[in-house]
Amino acid sequence: MSTIVNLDDSVPNVNYRQVGKPLPRTDAAGKVFGKTPYAGDYQMPGMLHMRVVRADIASAELTHLDVEKARALAGVVEIITAADLPDRMAATDIPGQTGQKRMDTDQQVLVRKRVKYFGEPIALIAAETPDIANRAAELVAFTLKPIPGVYDPIEAMKPGAPIVQGKDNVVATHKIKKGDAAAGLAAADIVIENTYKTPFQEHAFLEPEVGLAWIDENEVINIRVCTQVIEHFRAIADAVGVPHNKVRIRGALVGGGFGGKEDVTVEIYLALMAKRTLRPVRLEYTREDSLVGHGKRHPFTLTYKTGLTKDGKICGLDVQIIADSGAYVFLSPYVLLYGAVNAPGPYKVENLNVFAQAVATNNMFTSAFRGFGGMQSCAAYEQQMDECAKALGMDRIEFRRLNYLNTGDEISTGFVPPSAIWTEKCVDLAWKNLGGELALKKDGPIKIGRGVAAYQQSYGRLTFLHDTSEAWVGVEIDGTVIVRSGVTDIGAGQVSALGQIAVEILGVSLEDVIIYNSDSAVTPLAGTTTATRALYMTGNATKMAAEAVRKRLVARAAKSFGVEPDVVDLGGSRAFVIDNPETSMEFIDLVKLCASDGIHRSELVNFKAPFSDYLDPETGQGQAHPDYVYGAHAIEVSVDTDTGEVRVLRSVAVHDIGQCINRAAVEGQIEGGTQNGQGFALSEEMLYEEGKLVTPSFSEYLMPTSMDMPRVEISLLESRSGLGPFGAKGIGEPAISPVAPAIANAIADAIGVRVFEMPITPERVVNALKGAVGQM
Amino acid sequence: MYGEFKLEMPQQLDEALALIAEDPAEVLSGGTNLMIELRARKLRPEQVVSLDALSELRGIEVDGNRITLGARTTISDILRCDDMAEFGPSLLDAANLFAGQMVRNMGTVGGNIACSSPAADLVPPLMSLDAEITLVSSKGTRKVALCDYYLSYKKDVRAPSEMITSVSWKKLAKNSSNSFYKLARRIGDAITVTGVAVTLTMDGDRCTTARIALGAVAPTVFRATNAEKILEGQILTDDLITTAAQQAKAQSSPISDVRASAEYRLHTVGKLTHRLLTQARDKLV
Repeated sequence: MSTIVNLDDSVPNVNYRQVGKPLPRTDAAGKVFGKTPYAGDYQMPGMLHMRVVRADIASAELTHLDVEKARALAGVVEIITAADLPDRMAATDIPGQTGQKRMDTDQQVLVRKRVKYFGEPIALIAAETPDIANRAAELVAFTLKPIPGVYDPIEAMKPGAPIVQGKDNVVATHKIKKGDAAAGLAAADIVIENTYKTPFQEHAFLEPEVGLAWIDENEVINIRVCTQVIEHFRAIADAVGVPHNKVRIRGALVGGGFGGKEDVTVEIYLALMAKRTLRPVRLEYTREDSLVGHGKRHPFTLTYKTGLTKDGKICGLDVQIIADSGAYVFLSPYVLLYGAVNAPGPYKVENLNVFAQAVATNNMFTSAFRGFGGMQSCAAYEQQMDECAKALGMDRIEFRRLNYLNTGDEISTGFVPPSAIWTEKCVDLAWKNLGGELALKKDGPIKIGRGVAAYQQSYGRLTFLHDTSEAWVGVEIDGTVIVRSGVTDIGAGQVSALGQIAVEILGVSLEDVIIYNSDSAVTPLAGTTTATRALYMTGNATKMAAEAVRKRLVARAAKSFGVEPDVVDLGGSRAFVIDNPETSMEFIDLVKLCASDGIHRSELVNFKAPFSDYLDPETGQGQAHPDYVYGAHAIEVSVDTDTGEVRVLRSVAVHDIGQCINRAAVEGQIEGGTQNGQGFALSEEMLYEEGKLVTPSFSEYLMPTSMDMPRVEISLLESRSGLGPFGAKGIGEPAISPVAPAIANAIADAIGVRVFEMPITPERVVNALKGAVGQM
Repeated sequence: MYGEFKLEMPQQLDEALALIAEDPAEVLSGGTNLMIELRARKLRPEQVVSLDALSELRGIEVDGNRITLGARTTISDILRCDDMAEFGPSLLDAANLFAGQMVRNMGTVGGNIACSSPAADLVPPLMSLDAEITLVSSKGTRKVALCDYYLSYKKDVRAPSEMITSVSWKKLAKNSSNSFYKLARRIGDAITVTGVAVTLTMDGDRCTTARIALGAVAPTVFRATNAEKILEGQILTDDLITTAAQQAKAQSSPISDVRASAEYRLHTVGKLTHRLLTQARDKLV
């Protein structure tokens, strides 16, 4: 259970009836009792089972492909190869509602000739049973002639490197220039330069990709699928070659997304096969398929050169970022932009130069993952802040204090976030909750250390993507409430929050609401469940729709009471006069009155985020995001200097989330983000050898278990300054951002040397200690 | 998903032994290892013989000075045994950190020994307890010291017609200390990078018996006999323990894999042997 800290200068606590409380989510009971159907639970009579045949070399030419033996197997119904799709391409970069996309990022649906990554799909099989499809897959004969590939982005930028994308493998470049970084560094008393590395990371959702497609009586291709983005119906239609209104995505509650279900996964394969066979088709990835079937987190190499005055001010900062985009572009340019914009973190840097490049290699392609480039930069800038404080001989909290951005300050792009910047409050509280600096690291081989990290992480999508979200709220004649919105719920309580918002505004309770979501044909399109935007965007749309309905209901009640509407409130399923609650009526009676009078009891709202132009391409100045979240994480570790083993002993989170909607859901996000960040820092490692995944199961890819996690101690600050409903910001991505650098800083505090590459494995700790001994 | 094979479910041990004597078979006990190999098609057996019905192979028996675990005793059974802290402290250490709860409920002692993995976590503790296993076939029964059971990577002395039915060891002598350290990339549900089990028995300040069994640092679990010899009969000075730990390291021959490099395994096997020996001595002297 978290504590909510009311700070002196926060807006006085508003007396909400639903909002901010730790309520059981509307989806909880179904999940707990096993009644909730996930996409994989849907079946249809006569459905076929699909299997994807994949390349087992990362860089190669497909010289021979023979599916006849597989086709001849009894029970095999259809096999699709690239030969069947001579002109079909699939988009990898789909910004969403606006329909704009960059054509040059399209990808072959199936391998035509050139294989660019390990696991690239070569053929699609449909058979009467999963077992037959599996056996057919073994009968597909293909020959791959290896072609020299490139597996390191720095190598890929060198002249003469094998070309994977474009002219020079550089798929995106971003620059941010503010003041004069070179002059700032030249004038500095001390310059600290370090290079930090972050790894590939796997989303590892509980539910691997799965879907069921069929063609209905209107020739619409219906796809029941687990996805974060039902708006992909457009890209799927384009890839298959049908009009947009002939593809319908029907989502289901999703068993985890984390960005891994943000791109199209199984949908195009399903649509192609359903269209070809005219039968329902089902495709369920095994865990092995899933590990090679969706993009990973971009590994970043970040070089920070920080100029400092001797009294502890940052007077110049140069940041060079190289991201591995893997074999295809996907969302690399945007991920990289988040990295660049957030490169200085929540600190005031007048003289800044950021140069960031995403580079194609023959590694697994990389795309969206919780934190989306921002968290990779955080992993670097917060370690660098500790290194700077150490070099200055200053207390690391006091050094940060001298450099914080405060409310009303410009960030790297010259944009002033409209909300509160409470970094200082968050860091101070996190550090206080942990107990501050340790006087003693302990004798013997096991050392104790503490660390803290702050962050800046956006919520809402890039503003030049012109983001919108729709929601519909209606009141039935018996007083029950319906919310309809396309939003996908990926397990974070996105849907339940909408219900809570609607009933807060209408003065009824959570049991009175039903929410229909995630159907691209019949629920108003809400946009993606990505970018920490669902609550901000769809929450606002829902709130505005509910307010429109409320306004009409209140006006009707005021007429009955013979008062002005502004003295009427709705609450406890009643309408009443605020200063005279005896003058009241049941909500249900009010709704009946409205129905009888023909008053419109529903509303559809399209909420628009702030729109901006693209950032200045040379200076990166302008608006990138609607707003930002700030907070901190503090960590205590023990490090066994004999073995390098790290134990996280305490994990303390403090975030200014603006306003809690459902406190239990917020805590869930923070606990999950903490686990996700701890794995990123310490144990999760997708290892590739010449592009081939050599950690292909959860016995090699190691997420923290319950035995590895301490209790997460959470404090929530509510500045009520956010752009979301009731002043909410967002917490999905921010929860992960500061965790890894806080752990890294705690380890460095414990052992006196830093491991510059994540994950900080026991072996890397031992090697760092050996290196430190060697230097002495 | 798991390929096609004949599944036999014998009701009696004799029946099971007859089945494996006739045709090559994979023996299914808890299945926590075998099912993974089948699913990955690393094994494509014609016949699988399930021991599910053979409840007589499950249980912990104490007969005077000797403790016997039936081959189908699960890891959870070990954890539920109140006296295990006295019978085999190192085995309890290993069981506590063995995989995850579901695997502990299904995985068996016999299966862990028979899979012949150098990273099998119950083996170093059992070896440090001088355990002996019973191998039974339709032709008869023989007993093999666990330290003589493994030949090379995934190879052991068990004939295809034989089955492990139990493992047993003598209660620890007075003035003994026995412990196991599992070093892995995370605490829960992880494959061991370096495993060290140590038993010391002291007479006053002199060591009478030393057992050092090492996991995941050679093709098989093995006893660092050179290190043991250095300690036995001696007063355990810090220097002597350091020399023994160096010997344990010298007798190791680890590989590099996705979990750790050979160098790291060597480094840690030395450090952990040193640590466990020192702790054991300090506890007893």
